[in-house]
Amino acid sequence: MSVTRDDVLRIAQLAELDVDEEALPELAEQMSRILDYVAQLSAVPANGTVKVFVPGPDAIRFRADEVNPAPLAVGPEELAPAFKEGFFVVPKLGQFE
Amino acid sequence: MSDAKAVADRLVKVKRLNALLTPVKDLRKSLVAQEAAARPTGVLYGMPVAVKDNICTLEFSTSCGSRILEGYRSPYDATAIAKLKAAGALIAGKTNCDEFAMGSSTEHSAYGRVIHPLDKARVPGGSSGGSAALVGAGAVPAALGSETGGSVRQPASFCGVVGIKPTYGRVSRYGLVAFGSSLDQIGVFGRSVHDAARVLSVISGRDARDATCEDRDPLRLPTVPESLQGFVIGLPREYFPPELDPAVRRACERAVRLMKEQGAAVREVSLPHTPYAVPTYYVIAPAEASSNLARYDGVRYGPRFNGSADLRALYRSTRGQGFGPEVRRRILVGTYVLSSGYYDAYYRRAQQMRALIAQDFRNVFDRGVDLLFTPTTPTPAFRAGEKLDDPIAMYLSDIFTVTANLAGLPAISIPIGRVKGLPIGGQLIGQAFLEDEMIEAAYALERSVPATDEA
Repeated sequence: MSVTRDDVLRIAQLAELDVDEEALPELAEQMSRILDYVAQLSAVPANGTVKVFVPGPDAIRFRADEVNPAPLAVGPEELAPAFKEGFFVVPKLGQFE
Repeated sequence: MSDAKAVADRLVKVKRLNALLTPVKDLRKSLVAQEAAARPTGVLYGMPVAVKDNICTLEFSTSCGSRILEGYRSPYDATAIAKLKAAGALIAGKTNCDEFAMGSSTEHSAYGRVIHPLDKARVPGGSSGGSAALVGAGAVPAALGSETGGSVRQPASFCGVVGIKPTYGRVSRYGLVAFGSSLDQIGVFGRSVHDAARVLSVISGRDARDATCEDRDPLRLPTVPESLQGFVIGLPREYFPPELDPAVRRACERAVRLMKEQGAAVREVSLPHTPYAVPTYYVIAPAEASSNLARYDGVRYGPRFNGSADLRALYRSTRGQGFGPEVRRRILVGTYVLSSGYYDAYYRRAQQMRALIAQDFRNVFDRGVDLLFTPTTPTPAFRAGEKLDDPIAMYLSDIFTVTANLAGLPAISIPIGRVKGLPIGGQLIGQAFLEDEMIEAAYALERSVPATDEA
């Protein structure tokens, strides 16, 4: 299994991640080594009889469907860069003709 | 216990370790305020607890050791933090860690590497290296870390302190920044088994805000047992390979002898799928990380880099510049193994292997074994830089710890000796939600083992 420069670029695009041109050869080489290493998992019998293991509770517990306040310890006016009269102030995004 | 100023002074003294990310001035002020507000009736009243930087706190910023969250302030406390405060503990600052908890040496932090408290040329382990180093240096009696593949036990072993990783679902993950959600669990460091266990008992228990947290009462602290009579301890042969560091082997053999002398029955067992644990982990953890870290886009959290008019360009430049090399590598590997055409070959196989690894443990426990004893790590603390260029060598330092995460089991590392002054850790792996039994055995081992003697 060898990851090419183009593979890295394709995957980086899927991951919405810029990668430096000069870092590409090393990244391709390291990804190849990691993927070669994990490829030993192909020794697992590829049948569907092995049930997937998920830790944690067997079923999701549901909460009562009630509206409860979740008070923030820090108010929005302290969190936002700009807050005015109960609203977040944001840069103008566009204008209607 | 100790007053806020004394706590701050002790933390200033170990500044050289680069273990604390919170500026000491802010910390001093906050500690004084926290002490004034703390409930004197709380079971941890006045106890300073340092907190890994990937656990949300109101008091200090939560950066996860990353540039992409530099200066980020959480608007809420993690459940574990809220419980600590309710018990009267003082949050003694945020500790340095590998970026987003990805690493085994705390060299992958955007804020510089953490120094081992006993040898400045070595690493404290990781990813919760800052928490381990502060407890190891005696600056705080206990600290919180997080585990995805051994990030509490491995640094605990390197720094000569106790580290507990609870059963998956024992402690709420609400407010723990997600890395691998099916593996992540908050863990505890302590100077002693008792310090670690009492912090664990406080932070454990049900939480309506985390659906993966089990509906159980908090852990009840066991008493120190008179002997280990009735305990059956298994030694999995796959954890004692021929290439194991000879000093680590000697320390483990001594610990086993001491447990036998206290009445434990010891037998050799086998966990046959152990050799596949690290490859399984390095498919599942990056896959989950690539999804979890998709939320850092320069819009919702933290700073943005090269604010561009084009939204996708903004995402890409922020993520490209905000994440460090190890995180980028894991996001790419995770995206790869989940991508069309590779999902079955990697991710599905890894999920199946995870089931077989969990089954190995059930088989052993079903045959009357109560606990497993193993080395925590194959070697003592390694030198800084030694494994930086070789990701797989770095990954292999978690070889004895990842299995408990994959199987969701509780495990504890306790110091069992030293080699040339460097601590060696021994690990007990317990059955799901039987932390009390595991802690009992750890008390007995701790009492008998000459933890600071050469092995």
